[in-house]
Amino acid sequence: MFAVSFFEWLSTSAVANAMNGPEWAFPVVESLHFMGFALSIGTIAIVDLRLLGLGMRRQTARELAADLDPWTWAGIALMLITGPLMFSADAVNYHSNPSFQFKMTCLMLALLFHFTVHRRVTKSEVSPIAAKLAGGLSLLLWTAVVAGGRMIAFV
Amino acid sequence: MSIVSTLEWIESTDLSTAIREGALPYPILGGIHLLSIALFGGMLLATDLRLLGWAMVRRPVSDIVQQFRGWKRFGFLLVVASGLLLAWAEPQKLYRSPSFWIKMALFALVGVHALVFRAGVYADPARLDKGVTTQAELAAAMSLILWAGLIVSGRLIAFDA
Repeated sequence: MFAVSFFEWLSTSAVANAMNGPEWAFPVVESLHFMGFALSIGTIAIVDLRLLGLGMRRQTARELAADLDPWTWAGIALMLITGPLMFSADAVNYHSNPSFQFKMTCLMLALLFHFTVHRRVTKSEVSPIAAKLAGGLSLLLWTAVVAGGRMIAFV
Repeated sequence: MSIVSTLEWIESTDLSTAIREGALPYPILGGIHLLSIALFGGMLLATDLRLLGWAMVRRPVSDIVQQFRGWKRFGFLLVVASGLLLAWAEPQKLYRSPSFWIKMALFALVGVHALVFRAGVYADPARLDKGVTTQAELAAAMSLILWAGLIVSGRLIAFDA
């Protein structure tokens, strides 16, 4: 199957060798991955909590989203660089790991939601109920991404 | 009681055994620990980046510091509580892990950071609205460095034999 042979090839690539080489490589990249998701999900959570009306009330969700957007992007970029690096270290096993598959599904949904509905809600006037729904769903999706990621090591 | 026997006693408690041997508690606590790192990290970053003048510069410093304080404390509480429970599950392994002791040293520095900067920076942020002091910028930079150090040393624990 094409996919499997691609993952097998990836496991023997120079990137995979580097990730599997020095023993500090994986934990360092993983730590950067943690900082990336803290930056992205942390700043998204700030906007979500504001949408839910749970704090940061001295500015609108729109202002918060606009102010924090560059940092959310920086976090997403760091996450999307370090994630595939870790994946390459053991591609064949990750791709068949149910927790990994769950995480990737949630990540696709979370990113899709973030750049469509979430973005619209923070850029235009919507009803308070719509804002709360969007904030809650966003928090739920990102929570699922992190939980799925943590489960990879246990499944 | 010696340290080793204390650690053995901890591992013999029902709570420790339940977290260590159950299929779900350990990964769930790990997940909560990670999520609270993101929550606490987000709040910490917002405050520190404002002090450094790198984000939300249109808002007064006091506005940001005061608004994020509650969630920052909640995130910190959650990260410490979940961390304590995770540590309770396998204290002997942590006792032998150099990364764990580096992490604890950094954690002690978090306390020092609070002692040094609390009065001058965080207790009365309204004073910073006219202009952020060098001391406040230093506090923010040190806070970011400590946070990054805690993440790296924490992650390295899993790789210590």
